[in-house]
Amino acid sequence: MTVPTHNPASPILTVKDLDLFYGAKQALKKINISMQRNQVTAFIGPSGCGKSTLLRCFNRMNDLIDNVRVEGSISFEDQEIYAASTDVITLRRRIGMVFQQSNPFPKSIYENIVYGLRIAGVNDKSLLDETVERSLRSAAIWDEVKDRLHDSALGLSGGQAQRICIARAIAVNPEIILMDEPCSALDPISTLKIEELIDELKRKYTIIIVTHNMQQAARVSDVTGFFYLGELIEAGPTRKIFTNPEKTQTEDYITGRFG
Amino acid sequence: MKKNYTQASRRRDRLAELLIRICGLFVIVAVVWILVMITRVALPLFYSPKATSIASISLPVELKQSRLLSIGIDETQQELFSLDGKGLVHFIDTRGGTLKESVPVPDPPPGARTVVSAELVSKSLYNLLWDTGVVSSVKIAFSSTRSESGNTIVSHEVSADPEGFFPGSGAFKRSFVRTIEGKGAVRVDQLESDRIRVTWRSKETDLFGNEKATTSSSEIQDPLPAAITAVVLDHAGHYLYAGTRNGQLMRWDISEPGEIRLLDSTAVTGNSPVTALNLVLGDISVAVGDGKGGYTAWFPVTAAGSGEGKQLVRTHVLRPHTGTVSAILPSPRDKSLVSVNDQGVIHIDHVTSERNLLTLKGAKPVAMLALSAQGNSLCSLDTAGNFAVWRLEIPHPEVSLGTLFGKVWYEGYDRPEYVWQSSAANDDFEPKMSLVPLIFGTLKATAFAMLFAVPLALLGALYTSQFMAPRLKSRIKPAVEIMAAIPSVVVGFLAGLWLAPLIDKVVLAFFLSFIIIPVMLLVTIFFWRLIKTASPLERRLRGKEFIVLIPIVLVGTWLAYLLGGIVEVQVFGGDFKQWLYSVLGIRYDQRNSMIIAVALGFAVIPLIFTIAEDALSNVPRNLTAASLALGASRWQTAWRVVLPSALPGVFSAVMIGFGRAVGETMIVLMATGNTPIMSGSIFNGLRSLSANIAVEIPEASLNGSLYRVLFLSAVLLFIFTFIINTVAEALRQRFRRKYGRY
Repeated sequence: MTVPTHNPASPILTVKDLDLFYGAKQALKKINISMQRNQVTAFIGPSGCGKSTLLRCFNRMNDLIDNVRVEGSISFEDQEIYAASTDVITLRRRIGMVFQQSNPFPKSIYENIVYGLRIAGVNDKSLLDETVERSLRSAAIWDEVKDRLHDSALGLSGGQAQRICIARAIAVNPEIILMDEPCSALDPISTLKIEELIDELKRKYTIIIVTHNMQQAARVSDVTGFFYLGELIEAGPTRKIFTNPEKTQTEDYITGRFG
Repeated sequence: MKKNYTQASRRRDRLAELLIRICGLFVIVAVVWILVMITRVALPLFYSPKATSIASISLPVELKQSRLLSIGIDETQQELFSLDGKGLVHFIDTRGGTLKESVPVPDPPPGARTVVSAELVSKSLYNLLWDTGVVSSVKIAFSSTRSESGNTIVSHEVSADPEGFFPGSGAFKRSFVRTIEGKGAVRVDQLESDRIRVTWRSKETDLFGNEKATTSSSEIQDPLPAAITAVVLDHAGHYLYAGTRNGQLMRWDISEPGEIRLLDSTAVTGNSPVTALNLVLGDISVAVGDGKGGYTAWFPVTAAGSGEGKQLVRTHVLRPHTGTVSAILPSPRDKSLVSVNDQGVIHIDHVTSERNLLTLKGAKPVAMLALSAQGNSLCSLDTAGNFAVWRLEIPHPEVSLGTLFGKVWYEGYDRPEYVWQSSAANDDFEPKMSLVPLIFGTLKATAFAMLFAVPLALLGALYTSQFMAPRLKSRIKPAVEIMAAIPSVVVGFLAGLWLAPLIDKVVLAFFLSFIIIPVMLLVTIFFWRLIKTASPLERRLRGKEFIVLIPIVLVGTWLAYLLGGIVEVQVFGGDFKQWLYSVLGIRYDQRNSMIIAVALGFAVIPLIFTIAEDALSNVPRNLTAASLALGASRWQTAWRVVLPSALPGVFSAVMIGFGRAVGETMIVLMATGNTPIMSGSIFNGLRSLSANIAVEIPEASLNGSLYRVLFLSAVLLFIFTFIINTVAEALRQRFRRKYGRY
């Protein structure tokens, strides 16, 4: 699962001239962007601008939707994600995902965390226990749930559930974590906790986050990309995008003139 | 304006709520009402029998000095009669105790002056043994008509029956005469010296129409273990029974003229004398009462081990009397017996159910007992010369919890068994109403059907909800739902008249297809895995995989058909069913449990499929997405996330299917042979509770035992489904708490 050698300077994900069509409708137009290792990249933009669609291209979740057509290239390190030889299952283990709505399985907290390992055929109890603790600690929720690991995960609050989902994604040791508006359904305190967590996680993982919340993007990300109507209008260091954007559209959006 | 609007909508809300409540209440009331109604029909089965004392009169003064031989009573408890030693029949009004009329027995034998004994042969027919040794028959019958004013008027008639005339000479203790239709008659005399003589009079008609009568006579030569204390002869004149002072019961076959064969000599009471002996209606069981009050019923049973010989076996133990049993009187209507002990305690028992129906106690020892021709009235005459008359209400003597749910030793059976056979052509038939074979049949049909239906329906639902292309799904699901709308009579008809003969021809192929098709599917799946995920071919076939499987299933069926023929010839010598019977001893019924499994399964599959599919489809997409994003395959997602999440719904689907299978009537009725047998074999048929109701209710007489037992089985079915549904709902709630919200 680990990649033998890589140049820290080279991007972990590179998107080149990516077009995506839902049937006849083009949802992404000529996207070019690259993501750096151990950085948080935020995608912002109004609803329907294609930022989530792009996110879902990285772990090929779009495969599940009928009549999706992808043109162009996304390379994950040296591997072409949309190549015929790509094993989707391995790809998804290396690129984890956290969804907009927390979606714990109707199982115990423990089983939620070890799900990714179990489906990979890991059944070694000590390894599973170890993974559960490590993942829950990484997701900063260990202290809250350590006494009720075998209770149903459905009994958790929204913020806790979302952190469980993050822990579940971490458990399989991915390289990239995709976050699709992870805080949109959470209260400010839970949001804050997740944001602190993201800051913590970027030491080990590369994070790509889609968000509607510009303050959030400003707070957590290193790089921000602004999407509008399927196009990547502008991408650059977060500070620059928020203080001195090159495009007027970006500026309009950030200052709240539309969107 | 706005205020009005809010008020109106609030009013509408309240109205809707009220309407929903009323409808819900109506449903509950209707269901409870149905349960109450069917229970009300079934409940009288368990009411205790009733005897109402109608009259208690003393013997009219005119008869105080008479030597009475027999008594009798009419059906409406208005008139009774007594027969005296002079050959006079005295009719007595039960209301006043007055003598209404004395009628001499018509056509007494010449020279005869007094009657020695009288025997009730059958309903209202008496054989009289005269002092000259001649036996003659007399019919003393009551008939009742309803007058215009609504009163019942009883009339009586005394007539001679020339058929029963049998000459003889000498002094006898007792004599029995039985006429044998068209062949003559047989007479058994118990002589003073405890010897028994049998006389046959055969009548033959030669080709010219001349009648030739021959008479032969023979005495029983077998040594008797002790003095004879009771003798009884069956109605056909075939078997003679005698009880002895030391408690032996002997049985002779006297059916062939000139031949007396001792069949049994069995200790029946444990040394206490046999004091009362009589045959239960139907002449198969013999009831024995002894000097200590022991009261049992016996009939010949093929002894275990011994080839053909039948031995008398104690099959029923009735409630013992407190003292010597002095007389046993069989009911003319069913397998009930009236017995009395030396203290005048009268028991009414039913042999089959071993129920003590009634216990009546008079003040004085009873000298004589009589039942009316229909068994509705009981009359006793005690030693002090007092008549007592009762009206009996024993509507369901043969039904008890024991006969409904336990093993019962029925006449002609070698051991106690669970049997359902409610009716037969003859009146003296013993109804066998064990619900156990029917409950067994219901469960068996359900079990086989579920075995067939649940895997198919659930896997189908899983595939449809998780894998099938949405466009295909939108067509296939309604198609399966239409399957549920096929009238069950059509399914049953096809199963019984098309499928059963078809499978009958290709049993082996049917079995082989269960092996061959899955193996072929596995092979296909193996090759399928070579197709890369998201390759163009995979993309094209995704959601339509089953189309590829259709030809494979067809080829599998064809292979099974071919192989079935080969295997039948090579392994089973050309005829599987013959092999099954001769080697394993298993009988193959054409309409068997396999047919039921397929037919009932066909009815249940759409139900389970639809509900399970809904439950599975209701599992939110974001759960499947989460699983897939963690690197699970679609199959892993379906199996580990979707199915557990939808478990409550899937479980409901299975239980609703189960409930439907339990209650299904027409399919089971038409696709099985309706044989109420208890056999776990897949090759045998069955009869279910519901099919049984459908089959038998048309022939059950209103408010008869069968009618009520059928209603009882309806109550059982009701309770059955009620319990299933309640347990299912409770379990579903538990699953819901444990596994999830969907």
